Amino acid sequence: MKIWAIALNTLGTFFRNRLLIVFAVIFVCTVLLFLTPLLSVKALARAGQAQQAQTMVLSLVSMIISFVSGTGSLLAAWCAADSVSSELKSGTILAVMARPVKRWEFLLGKYLGVMLLMSGYVVMMYGLSWLLAWIGGAQLHSTTWVLFAYPLVRYAIWAAIALVLVTLIHPIATMGVVLILAVVALLVEPSGKVMHNHLQYLKVPLWILLPSTSLLSEERFLTITHAALKQASWTEHLTTLAYGLDYALVVLLLAVWSFHYRSLTRD
Amino acid sequence: MTPAINFQGVTKVYRRRLAGQEVPALTQVSFEVGAGEVCAFLGPNGAGKTTSINLLMGFLYPDWGDIRVLGFAPGDVRAKQQIGFVPENFAFYKHLNAEKLLQFHLILAGLGRSAAPGLVRDLISKVRLTGYEKLKIGKYSRGMVQRLAIAQALLSDPQLLLLDEPTSGLDPSGRIEVKTLIHDLKSAGKTIFLSSHILSDVEQICDRAIIINRGRLVRSGSLQELLVAGDQIEIVADQLPVEFEPLLAEWAATFQRLPSEVRITVSAVHKRELVEKLWAAGCDILSLKTVRGSLEDLYMQLVGNGNSA
Repeated sequence: MKIWAIALNTLGTFFRNRLLIVFAVIFVCTVLLFLTPLLSVKALARAGQAQQAQTMVLSLVSMIISFVSGTGSLLAAWCAADSVSSELKSGTILAVMARPVKRWEFLLGKYLGVMLLMSGYVVMMYGLSWLLAWIGGAQLHSTTWVLFAYPLVRYAIWAAIALVLVTLIHPIATMGVVLILAVVALLVEPSGKVMHNHLQYLKVPLWILLPSTSLLSEERFLTITHAALKQASWTEHLTTLAYGLDYALVVLLLAVWSFHYRSLTRD
Repeated sequence: MTPAINFQGVTKVYRRRLAGQEVPALTQVSFEVGAGEVCAFLGPNGAGKTTSINLLMGFLYPDWGDIRVLGFAPGDVRAKQQIGFVPENFAFYKHLNAEKLLQFHLILAGLGRSAAPGLVRDLISKVRLTGYEKLKIGKYSRGMVQRLAIAQALLSDPQLLLLDEPTSGLDPSGRIEVKTLIHDLKSAGKTIFLSSHILSDVEQICDRAIIINRGRLVRSGSLQELLVAGDQIEIVADQLPVEFEPLLAEWAATFQRLPSEVRITVSAVHKRELVEKLWAAGCDILSLKTVRGSLEDLYMQLVGNGNSA
């Protein structure tokens, strides 16, 4: 009950967070900007170059979905970092922690608040994907739950990483580190390229240590063509999602441990 | 009986890792506050009062020493269930109104919305915020926020109240109301630990005082003990013959002639001799008592402008 109350209150503060409102406006404007070439390409299709237009539409839709999905990871990280740092900065945390609330309960409440927001984001992202596909004259082929579960697990990981970092460093620095980690995580993904040995030695542990965001990408199972659904077995889903949830849980426990020992005042 | 607050040899140092600085906030501070006492916690700005209160609440950890609050470690939920806390510069969620905030705190206190339907309304009325309960806290004045802080501290009928500058930002009538409230809480047997700079208020409502300066305890005790101004005695007589004046000057005593009496302040060493001489001279002794100083005098003597250790 306490955790849920903190989560709902956190969600309430997000809707009044000026920075997040600005982010939402910029986000909507960017997606609308993407729509312009999409509509132009559709016009091209009507002009008789159907095959070429179809390919361009599909790549554009795919790009927009990747952008929205990727931005969600950053949004999750920022919200998690801000939810804790703004409480510490304003001092509102003192009134909450003066109540019979354990530190882990507070942090879990904050985390759940972020995940509630991100659930809304995923729903919006799902709707947007369908809308874009419809505008582009394409079809989405995927299992619905995959489009919800995979991004949510990915956002859970990035939110937990941001929570750990913000218990140690400034929220701006947290976002810097999150960005670097995200880029490094992408760079160290296994590829066909042969690397120098010393880089390989660095790449493998980093790949193991950092979250595998491409593994947890819902786009692996999403086909925006008229082709058949990309097949994945239940065991594949299960192991991938278990990996993601386990990663998020471990990082969240690290955040709880770190938060337990930190000062709650602005000293 | 377990003391409500027990501080034993507490040391706290703030460390600025990047600058390599260490700022000692508290050094070997020890004191106790008994159950049912109203204890003032005094000291100049930067003396370590808020740090001590933050340690009591478990917001900070001490570097050394032991702290017990109602018999539990600071931050223990069993202790926090019985604590009402008003921090200095209280910050609330500005998007909530008083009613919603108190309901939120009811849930956090483990009481739930349905526990006491009239409780929120009663508390709002008690702190004179009726009519403003639907207004966003962001639009409240400093005094209104302070009233709300007091209301939330009283929410779970706490046994121990930690009040860090509870009257700051309040107008004179608000201050009087808070004093009355503290009196009522004292009568109800609550323990109150009060940090304040308004010494006249403290003198009126507190049983004990703890004075710290530069992170060190400089004096603690009951106000009765603390305010006894050394060995000075006040003797009130119906008259004072003029020939006594050189003798009083010799003893460094002072006197004040009033229309119906004379007030003589003299060292306790000369008390008996002076009384006998006055009796012998045919004077009537109306009263004799130990001179009680003011808390302000004691505070200035111990702390001064805050620079003395």
